[in-house]
Amino acid sequence: MSYTPVQLLENWILRQASDAGQAWLDTQREAVATGDLKSLYMSFGFAPRKVGKADLQLTERDLNDAAEARPGWMPHTWTIDQAARVLLLMSLPSEDDAAFYATLEKLFQTAEIREQICLYQALQLLPHQELFDDRLCDGTRTNVKSIFESIAHNNPLPMELMSEQSWNQMVLKALFIGAALDPIEGLDRRVNPELARMLIDFAHERRAAKRPIPVELWRVAAPFADEIALEDMKALYASGEQLEQSAIALALVSTASDEADVILKTNPEIAKRAENGEITWREIAQQAY
Amino acid sequence: MKFIDPHIHVTSRTTDDYEAMAAAGVAAIIEPAFWLGQPRTNVGSFQDYFSSLVGFEKFRAAQFGIRHYCTIGLNSKEANNEALAEQVMEIMPLFLAKENVVAVGEIGFDDMTALEEKYLRLQLEMAKEVDLPVLIHTPHRNKKQGTYRSMDIIEEHEIPPHLVVIDHNNEETCEEVLRRGYWAAFTIYPKTKMGNERMVEIVKKYGPERIIVDSSADWGVSDPLAVPKTGNLMLERGVPEEHVELTCYKNALAAYSPSGQFEESDWLDPEPIDQRTLFEGNSVLRGGQAPRVDKPEDDRIIQ
Repeated sequence: MSYTPVQLLENWILRQASDAGQAWLDTQREAVATGDLKSLYMSFGFAPRKVGKADLQLTERDLNDAAEARPGWMPHTWTIDQAARVLLLMSLPSEDDAAFYATLEKLFQTAEIREQICLYQALQLLPHQELFDDRLCDGTRTNVKSIFESIAHNNPLPMELMSEQSWNQMVLKALFIGAALDPIEGLDRRVNPELARMLIDFAHERRAAKRPIPVELWRVAAPFADEIALEDMKALYASGEQLEQSAIALALVSTASDEADVILKTNPEIAKRAENGEITWREIAQQAY
Repeated sequence: MKFIDPHIHVTSRTTDDYEAMAAAGVAAIIEPAFWLGQPRTNVGSFQDYFSSLVGFEKFRAAQFGIRHYCTIGLNSKEANNEALAEQVMEIMPLFLAKENVVAVGEIGFDDMTALEEKYLRLQLEMAKEVDLPVLIHTPHRNKKQGTYRSMDIIEEHEIPPHLVVIDHNNEETCEEVLRRGYWAAFTIYPKTKMGNERMVEIVKKYGPERIIVDSSADWGVSDPLAVPKTGNLMLERGVPEEHVELTCYKNALAAYSPSGQFEESDWLDPEPIDQRTLFEGNSVLRGGQAPRVDKPEDDRIIQ
């Protein structure tokens, strides 16, 4: 049996919230459903005090249900107040798209950091998502890493909504600020030559400054690697640290080009591990940050 | 020794100040919403200012190992622009419930006009509605009358004195403020409000109970280290250590803890670092428990 996102959020909260918190949330959702904006603004703020801030305790099955209810939805990092806030937002009347947009923007403009994280993650479940592509791009300009990650990580909206230019900027910025690439949904699907060029340039800047090159970069750069990029990879594959060698092997294996094979042969042992699936991008990302 | 500066306008200060404060032992600060010097002409300026108090400034402070809290309110000077004041009152519900908001404030009198009184009263009622303490700004001119009048109004609204901090006291006002049961805060601000030698004498005379020391450091000539400097001077001049702890740390904690948002465990026992997306920003902050001062060995070299 499949569930809607609202049903799932309600169940998860029911499992964990106190009776008082649950009753408070029900009352607030009713008020918000009448279009009462003051209730929305206050209850959105007060949610953590009323239902707590604990992590949602989700099982594998819950996560599968989530992905079925909304493809790309990965709520494994969500907290109970976040779930409550999203239910409040989902209660808001949405027939009038301009009014709905204006209310959401008001919340975005006045949100503190945890609230912004919640709002960016909430959009994937809300109506009129297409109105928020500028808001997503604007959000990625933040200096606050956790806000950036609420957009870039475990969120299908950038993959679905962003133009190529905005997408490329988001991936490059992730590398700049030390945010992992692996949790970006659609990362391998939306690789493109312009992005690969930007990343190679970035790798050269880092090399000139004698700063380390983020290892995940090669995953996105390799599919469109030019001669120079292949030289870089060849050099790092020969003399880099173990994590760099693993990342380059994995990146080269996935390109399946003749040039890549030549490089891989220079260190067949790591190449074999990459080919056998003994190295994964997830592990590399986990070790890198 | 650890300190709390429960009244400082760090939006106006640089990261050098944050580093110095952390090094001097300041663990937590409260930034009351106040006047920016340049009068605001529209509600958007207030909205962005409040947003930075509950958002970016909290983030910035934490990167230097300092926990940042704030109070939200319409200040007394700008209460005199009625059209604007009305709009500010309308957006306040968007901010009062934010997680680092520990009081409604700073509100009160400047010129002691009817409009100042109107918005003081409205905001006192708002504080009751959201169950938050109140921070009162007392005027520079006609201070004694302004202070007494503020307390009379608070009593008319039946807010218990233990939920109210009366700030910017001096030798003339503190006796009555303490007698009526309020928290009496003192601003150590060069040349104007209170010097720290005078402060030492006040603590010696009245004892440490319900007395709070702060800096109010802002965009003017002021000192973000006023609280640790005063605490250290007290010790030097023979004030017992537990009295210094009360006036420069514990009383502020007790005064603002009824908000439910001001807990010592936030800075003494931070949540463990959590690598997942939602808390990674926070883990960056908590990683800054010890102030991060990345000074190169040779400071002529910029890496």
